[in-house]
Amino acid sequence: MKRYKWALGFMAIALILGIGFMQGNKAEAGDGLKLGSKAPMADVKMTATDGKTYTITSVKGKHGTLVIFSCNACPWVKNWEDRISEIGNAYQEKGVGVIVINANDPSRVPEDSYDEMVKRAKDKGFAFPYVVDETSDIAREFGATRTPEVFLFDAEGSLVYHGAIDDNAADAKAVEAHYLKEALNAIVAGKPVPMAETKALGCTVKLRRSDS
Amino acid sequence: MRITPATADQILQAIQHTRANTTIVNVWATWCQPCVEEFPDIMKVYEKYKGQGVRVVFISADFENPPHDAEAFLKKQGVDFVTFLKSGKDMAFINTLDPNWSGALPATWIYNAQGQKQHFWEGKVSLEQFEKTVRETLGKRDS
Repeated sequence: MKRYKWALGFMAIALILGIGFMQGNKAEAGDGLKLGSKAPMADVKMTATDGKTYTITSVKGKHGTLVIFSCNACPWVKNWEDRISEIGNAYQEKGVGVIVINANDPSRVPEDSYDEMVKRAKDKGFAFPYVVDETSDIAREFGATRTPEVFLFDAEGSLVYHGAIDDNAADAKAVEAHYLKEALNAIVAGKPVPMAETKALGCTVKLRRSDS
Repeated sequence: MRITPATADQILQAIQHTRANTTIVNVWATWCQPCVEEFPDIMKVYEKYKGQGVRVVFISADFENPPHDAEAFLKKQGVDFVTFLKSGKDMAFINTLDPNWSGALPATWIYNAQGQKQHFWEGKVSLEQFEKTVRETLGKRDS
């Protein structure tokens, strides 16, 4: 009986350690992916507004990959959208893979439906894939909490920048710190990112219910 | 009813000066749907417990200044006390209010009578959760 209890205790400890190990690279709920982490769920196929499917791995550029959690409806996104388009298109040309992911549940936010995404991508001239996270699980695994929220991976696939596009959502002309552009310029030049983590206000990601 | 531009430091000072038994601090915006949805619930809890020393500090993150839409919304919700309009850069504002806050809205904190943070939520909170937490902070047991 005593031996049986020991065995049970050992199994419980092993289980706890095992779970901890498995979650080592996974963001905690409400906590973004840690710097240095690889992109989770990078081989999950997502449908883009051009009707094709993409994965985070498939868009990877020679200098790295820019992943932005975004949507249509959020006013912060709307304010930053022209800058997202301009930066995404420009740095894709410079060898950074770009993918913009909408993880919002359109049953909660109709403006975030696929059809509306198609219109938005066309209106804003996105030259990069604007894709649907059909289960919101990619956003969960990244620990993305708001839109827009940026994750930039370097050529080795390590997270080197996480946060905001710049320091002024309301007025593009009044921006003082171009956080994302500076990070992108750094990875294109093979240099360290000057400010690796920033914050800005944003809408909560309207995740699909995980049990639906 | 006034809505006053304020930095995060000024808001923290205002929280300390409420002299309330419990202070609910909520960052919201008129075009933040979950913010607008939960707002009446915060007001319900405030109205029910204000006699026991509960106060609310609302901070609008609306872009517009003067914030006409926010003022109209506050009036419609029956807010008859001073509220704030977020002033200053986002990152300093977020980290000063709470380094654990990602910046997503709505964001709500509960402070106790000693001016210490007791609870923090990022995202929409239910009426039941608000009321339960406020009652706990006031030192009451669920009946």
